[in-house]
Amino acid sequence: MKKIILSLAVVLVSLVSMAQKPEYYQAIGETFGQYATCKSVADFQALGNKFQMIAAAEKSEWLPLYYHAQCYILMSFIEQDATKKDGYLDVAEKSVTSLLEMVPSESEVSVLNAFYLVGRLVVNPMERGQEYSGLSGQALGKALALDATNPRAQLLQLQMEMGSAQFTGQDPKSFCPKAKELLANWDNFKPKSPIHPNWGKDQAEGVVKGCQ
Amino acid sequence: MKRTEISIITILFCLNAFTQTVITGRITEEKGEPLPGANAYLQGTYDGTSTGENGIFNLKTAKSGSQVLKVEFMGYEPFIQNLDLKGDTIHVNVKLKEAFNQLNAVTITAGTFEAGDKKQAVTITPIDMLTTAGAVGDVFGALQSLPGTTINGESGRLFVKGGDSEESQTYIDGSLVSVPYNSSAPNQATRGRFSPWMFKGTIFSTGGYSAEYGQALSSVLLLSTNDMPAEDQLDLSFLTVGLEVAGTKLWKNGAVTGTLSYNNLAPYMSLVPQNYDWGKYPESATGAVSIRQKTSKTGMFKFYSSFDNGSFMLSQENLDAAGKPVDYKLKNGNQFMNASWNDKLGEKWSVITAASFTNNTDDIQFDQTTVAKQIQGTHLKSVFSYPFSEKFILKMGGELFSKKFSQNVQFPNEKHDNSFTNHTFSGFTEAQIYASTKFVTRIGGRVEYSDYLNSFTVSPRLSAAYKITDKSQFSAAYGWFYQNPVDDYLLYTDLLKPERVDHYTFSFQSSANSRTIRAELYYKDYKDLVKLTGGEFYLPTSYNNSGSGYAKGLDLFWRDKKSIKNGDYWVSYSYVDTKRDYRNFPEEAIPTFASRHNLSVVYKHWFGKLRSLAGANFRYSSPRVFNDPNSPIFNGEKMLAYRSLDLSWSFLYRQHIIIYGAVTNVLDFKNEFGQRYSNNPNTNGQYPGAAIQPGSNQFYVIGCFITLTRKGNANQLDKIE
Repeated sequence: MKKIILSLAVVLVSLVSMAQKPEYYQAIGETFGQYATCKSVADFQALGNKFQMIAAAEKSEWLPLYYHAQCYILMSFIEQDATKKDGYLDVAEKSVTSLLEMVPSESEVSVLNAFYLVGRLVVNPMERGQEYSGLSGQALGKALALDATNPRAQLLQLQMEMGSAQFTGQDPKSFCPKAKELLANWDNFKPKSPIHPNWGKDQAEGVVKGCQ
Repeated sequence: MKRTEISIITILFCLNAFTQTVITGRITEEKGEPLPGANAYLQGTYDGTSTGENGIFNLKTAKSGSQVLKVEFMGYEPFIQNLDLKGDTIHVNVKLKEAFNQLNAVTITAGTFEAGDKKQAVTITPIDMLTTAGAVGDVFGALQSLPGTTINGESGRLFVKGGDSEESQTYIDGSLVSVPYNSSAPNQATRGRFSPWMFKGTIFSTGGYSAEYGQALSSVLLLSTNDMPAEDQLDLSFLTVGLEVAGTKLWKNGAVTGTLSYNNLAPYMSLVPQNYDWGKYPESATGAVSIRQKTSKTGMFKFYSSFDNGSFMLSQENLDAAGKPVDYKLKNGNQFMNASWNDKLGEKWSVITAASFTNNTDDIQFDQTTVAKQIQGTHLKSVFSYPFSEKFILKMGGELFSKKFSQNVQFPNEKHDNSFTNHTFSGFTEAQIYASTKFVTRIGGRVEYSDYLNSFTVSPRLSAAYKITDKSQFSAAYGWFYQNPVDDYLLYTDLLKPERVDHYTFSFQSSANSRTIRAELYYKDYKDLVKLTGGEFYLPTSYNNSGSGYAKGLDLFWRDKKSIKNGDYWVSYSYVDTKRDYRNFPEEAIPTFASRHNLSVVYKHWFGKLRSLAGANFRYSSPRVFNDPNSPIFNGEKMLAYRSLDLSWSFLYRQHIIIYGAVTNVLDFKNEFGQRYSNNPNTNGQYPGAAIQPGSNQFYVIGCFITLTRKGNANQLDKIE
């Protein structure tokens, strides 16, 4: 993942001069490249800040908002203090809501919405499980309806199915053939541009590894 | 990306620049604590940075001339400053103001248990109500594990802070439920009519509530029903006491749910020994329809209607006829309708309109007496709210409660037909004012006019809350509360006026790390309670408002979801000191429904490997008093203390199949609720008595819940009782 992103960032920098909005592509590509080095909540917050700045400068672009929300969702996963998680998700929620209005038919945005809802669920699975698993399932359904080939939507769905199989005592390994197929076909999906969402392959690899 | 690469790029991009300006400073909150991770950037550019641990930022830019520095941080209001960049170093220290957000602001907790909010600070959620052992799926049963309540095993209804059960009212989606409980035989526990899984949120207020709520002396229970379901589904429930089928169908922006249930205790009661002889085991059939429709982006319309028919025959000893068994036969019919609509009107106004209608009939036969009772209740309500600013919200509204109660009693040689119709008109207004996120006051008032009693009342209400720290707060509430006298008196007289109680509540609450502690002190001053003068019951002049009383006490609540892995427990304790002089009391005395000490310990544990949620609930109420007409001391006898240990087990067999089992009073404690006596003395001048026992000492239930959806992965986990 790290290598891919680094090489991607290098490619991006070289693309800068060709782009229509060189400064935008430069900034987002550069910021995008820093994902790999982010480990802590503070790292992601600093990165999120950059995307927030870019979003403020480029009001018609949805990608900066997308990455801004993603940073805050990831923060909620990393954060150890349970009382802070909802605060980060409140920030993510705002960006997700504007994204859903801005590009309602973008499959990636629905995946992000599902990811955000999983974040809410994880804060308190006992109390939120029922409601938020339904909501994120709906969001994934929408993502797949918009683009059935979206590997991130398939990955999240697979992870949810495996999780609930484990919960109900079924063998999660029954989903392994599906996981392998997903990974094998991963690269068939071509993002619209180098800065469009392209994450998830390493998670898919992790799932397949877990099968062995 | 590595630092060197970044700096190389930075250098590359700075080549064009002739000058570089450095903007540096410290970003803090109002008290001067640094804010690490805050965003500082030049608006509309790509030049920005984040503050470090010490709140200091260092922003280098090649831009020149007039620029706008923007500082943003979550939970604070953004800061903007115009700068003139000339290639030098600019120092800007910023104090960010905390953003006002009602969700994060202090809330008034005096007297209130709120549930269903997505935030963490809640004390009890609807799922808690469902998974509390001992409640066996009864909303009111679950609430009896909260402080402020006293268990009355011979009633099953809510008794709150030294108040009688009639002093509590139940609302669904804003409108009144005139008959929230099932009909039961004298001295037999009842249950609520509504299944807890209908509700997504609950507010249980045990005192000092908002001016929006009237006609309740002791408590209001506000239930809000589920919003839009997620998908089409079919729910099947099989229990040892009955079965239920519920189907949900969605359409664009709307959904309908139909429910049919049939309960029959005959198989269960013939297997498990009962303390009473049932001539006909309790049997009931219910049908309900619920419709939800989004009326606009922000609007929602909900409709619920149910039909319920139940009957039973129970044999009780007639103490006036030397203990000869006499059949008590009851047939109940209940129709309930409830509709609500809420939406925004324009940018700011929001409106909630609700209506409910109840028609409840009880046909009772006892010995040679027949009683036919009918209640027809209608409630209409509209509430408008308008935020003058985020910190000042004004709410106002109007209500109409209409009630027609009729009772026909047929003795072998006489007949009494009585009825009354009352309309209570009311209006209220209330302002919620935030001085800051830390301090809020709510001030309001309510007026009511009752046409049958020709009475007019004014009730001021005042409450406030102050946050001492992020985690702890004090709240206080004060108010006058009026309620019309109970139906049984209004049947014979219209010379009464509403009963009144003044509440003084002071409460402390602290929550951190999934642990909550709460302590509440209260005093209730009862006035104008109805007294019987000793004249014939059917004469209007046999009643007056000369009664009075008080209740004071301490409620404690501790909940901990953290200390035990996969475990969650809470402990409630209530101390109540109360006396009254009302109804037929010859003097001030402790009422029979009040226990001095009340304890409830609830524990739940999730066994991941077994895919099971286990629950235990221990309840204790100290002995209550009762009256022995053979004794010269009024209410001078004490019944046994109430003790019960209840267990429940829910097993997730498959994702859509849950198997459930529960048993109450597993240790078989002896519970008795005092004695009942004959109406007339026997030849020795004595009133013979008999112990009031529960229907059975223990209750067992086994069930299976199946949810069928297209995807096949939903379940009724929140349906486990």
